Amino acid sequence: MGKQTTQTETVTSLEHLETVVDSDFHLSEQQDDFLSYLPSPFHDMLFHESRDIPMGYLKDFYPTAGLLTPVATGNVEMNKVRSQADIIEGKDLLNVDRAIVTPTLNLYLGGVHHDDLAAALAHAYNEWVLDEIYNPDEGIYGPVVVAPQKPQEAAAEIEDRAGEDGIVSVFIPSGGVHPPLGNEQYFPIYAAAENAGLPVQLHSASGTQMLSFPLQFHGSNRYLSNHAPTHAMVHMTHLTDMITRGVPVRFPDLDIVFQEAGLGWVPYMTRRLDNEYSEKRSDAPMLEKMPSEYVDDQFYFTSQPVEGAKDPDYIGPIVGLMGPDNLMFSSDYPHLDFDHSDYLFSALRSNFESSDVANVYGQTALEIYDF
Amino acid sequence: MTTTDDSPETESLHYVADVDEITDGDRVIVDVEGREIAVFNVDGAFHALSNYCIHQGGPACEGLISGSLEVDDEMELTYDSTNKVVSCPWHGWEFEIESGEHLAPTDYRLPTYRVVVQDGAVYLDSY
Ligand code: FES
Repeated sequence: MGKQTTQTETVTSLEHLETVVDSDFHLSEQQDDFLSYLPSPFHDMLFHESRDIPMGYLKDFYPTAGLLTPVATGNVEMNKVRSQADIIEGKDLLNVDRAIVTPTLNLYLGGVHHDDLAAALAHAYNEWVLDEIYNPDEGIYGPVVVAPQKPQEAAAEIEDRAGEDGIVSVFIPSGGVHPPLGNEQYFPIYAAAENAGLPVQLHSASGTQMLSFPLQFHGSNRYLSNHAPTHAMVHMTHLTDMITRGVPVRFPDLDIVFQEAGLGWVPYMTRRLDNEYSEKRSDAPMLEKMPSEYVDDQFYFTSQPVEGAKDPDYIGPIVGLMGPDNLMFSSDYPHLDFDHSDYLFSALRSNFESSDVANVYGQTALEIYDF
Repeated sequence: MTTTDDSPETESLHYVADVDEITDGDRVIVDVEGREIAVFNVDGAFHALSNYCIHQGGPACEGLISGSLEVDDEMELTYDSTNKVVSCPWHGWEFEIESGEHLAPTDYRLPTYRVVVQDGAVYLDSY
């Protein structure tokens, strides 16, 4: 870090880079940190210094999915990051020059059910980070956090904070937010961010996401905004749940075919699952091999609607990564988005052996269906 | 692995602690020529593992020592409460202390070292 790169030098480590920025470095704020900054009437109602509840009663206002996580079980000791000193320690550990510091408890702000309280919590958080945390001299920057439940207040919060030292963006805790963030009710937030010249960061939280997962579909009022993500999102959920609960372990001869969600989510999902299983094995202790191996062995995917077929740099690697033996051609004819059989084929034949292409186009189906 | 065999060349032994300083279910971490090695006592047997996590370099052996959630033949969840697993405090990768194997996937492992017990003291061998 801090070292100038010259033309002849090869960049082989962080050390060679002029500036390393971590654009999502989290605080682990607790109520004691920011509750005293709550505006009225919530300050009067909720802030009692005499209350001594270690995890904080504030947690009650944020939704939780009640999941058993490695943090909850104590397997991971999440470092405390509640002061500039904690951040500097973390930056040193990670070798970064600048950190964009984002919240943890307040990732759940988008799911808080009391709208006015949500806006007040966002305000209190911002007061705290501006007072005690952000410090450009130490490379500590961060967003204005806003509660999407109250867009007008959020816009005012952005206007008030935009010029302050260390503010670099606007942060919307996006998990669980309903309706989805394209709704015009949020436009004041975007207008304020644009006026202030600040980018908007969306950061979801797994615990809140599923709380409004089906509702979000009701809230998206365009066909495209439903159709593009829906098939893959639903299948990601089913595939993960089936593997986690051991369906392929319990039914080792069962083949499972996922249809009509395209390709790219499959290599993404298998790798994501393998990573996560390595950290959270106790969510699926019956597995005898890696999630991706179950997918390889027992899960199949029909091709339509193929995305990126005109992009030779896409189809080859993606099909290679998902495994051509797990892919079966489908057209979905005569639906609106059906794929002509030539469409995938021309993309495949330049990238794969004819036996792979033959498998995609029928051999695999012959094996797994009871023709 | 623990051995009470007193044949190995004494100069290769690196003193870790007296036997009674590593209580059952606990560990001590020593620095041997710049490498941190943890010596665990699991049910009276001593095992040594590298403290450098193969995932992203975290202090793997400083984490929680625990049992593990398993399933029985009916796929019902059971908890094996023997303290035989250490979880890296950074991301929770769980390693079986005896073998160094990651519980999932098992083809990852922390390096293990030979432990020798002699005259009431615990030593690492080959150092
Ligand atoms: S560094 Fe050990 S689990 Fe990630």
